[in-house]
Amino acid sequence: MTEETAGYRFPPVTALVASGLVAVGVLLFMFVHEGLLVVAGFGAFGPGVLRELGWLGGLDEFQRQAAHRAGYHAYLVGGLAAVLVVSALRGFGPDTGISTDWITLILVVLWITWLFSTLLTYWGARMTAKRVLLTFGSFWAVFVIAMLVSEQWEEVSPGQTALAILWAVLLVVPFFVLAWLAGRRPRMAGLLLLGVAAVVSVVLFPTWAGGSLDWSSVLLTATLLLVPLVGSGIALLREGARATFTCPRPDSPRSTTLSS
Amino acid sequence: MDSRNKVTNRVRDFRGQVDGMTQQDLADRVGVTRQTIISIEGGRYNPSVALALRLAQTFGVPVENLFQLSEEEHHD
Repeated sequence: MTEETAGYRFPPVTALVASGLVAVGVLLFMFVHEGLLVVAGFGAFGPGVLRELGWLGGLDEFQRQAAHRAGYHAYLVGGLAAVLVVSALRGFGPDTGISTDWITLILVVLWITWLFSTLLTYWGARMTAKRVLLTFGSFWAVFVIAMLVSEQWEEVSPGQTALAILWAVLLVVPFFVLAWLAGRRPRMAGLLLLGVAAVVSVVLFPTWAGGSLDWSSVLLTATLLLVPLVGSGIALLREGARATFTCPRPDSPRSTTLSS
Repeated sequence: MDSRNKVTNRVRDFRGQVDGMTQQDLADRVGVTRQTIISIEGGRYNPSVALALRLAQTFGVPVENLFQLSEEEHHD
């Protein structure tokens, strides 16, 4: 057996920058302002996020597998701990005076991210986006139909009725159009999805926040709405960018280029 | 055949047959980190098909000479 002779290798730049941010962030948190803990957060989670987005390389397949395994373990332990904390606080609740809404929000973020990531792995970007959008559209359709049925139509004019139906159709149809587009024009569908997510954020978010809902409920709703939209959008854009194969139909067998 | 199949490999043996080849040398040749080679040689990590083929190519042998299913194979 050949003995090891390789000497010490300097850590990669990414690891140095990330470690530096964590150290600086902790110091800023301790001595300057507690809100600056976010700097440590960038160091701890930033490289992983950038790698998952495909904007940062540097890990080989074994390191990626180790990172994914560690992430899954963190998800299980973090999720379990959050559930236990929420259950305990709700169970022995009112006296503690501690709100569990924010922990519930983190739990929802964990769960929906896990679910979405699993769907992307199982089905790929196009099929996941298509099914997510069809599900969204169907829920909207049921919601809109229920609203229309429950309206007192005898009290409104035919013009207003037509406007209400048109508005309902305008709310539902884009989801089905985007679902159709996701299978055929992933890049365009991805851009449109990010656009929809931006409009939702800019238009609806301040409306919700200014209403009677508290912040945790607003963020919870935004998470449930935006994570699938933004996630599908980014996944479709990446799919469109690396689509070197020439078969756009998602339902048919396709030839793929495997990258190592 | 179930998922309890154990894959064994002779990467360490083949590397030893090449004069002076360290784990780092092999890692550089196939484009991974030394830790990955250590894990493969230690049997803690089964490489992807692409990496297995690159390793076999490096030693100039068929991939099945480098990786084998162990005798403890289970058939269900």
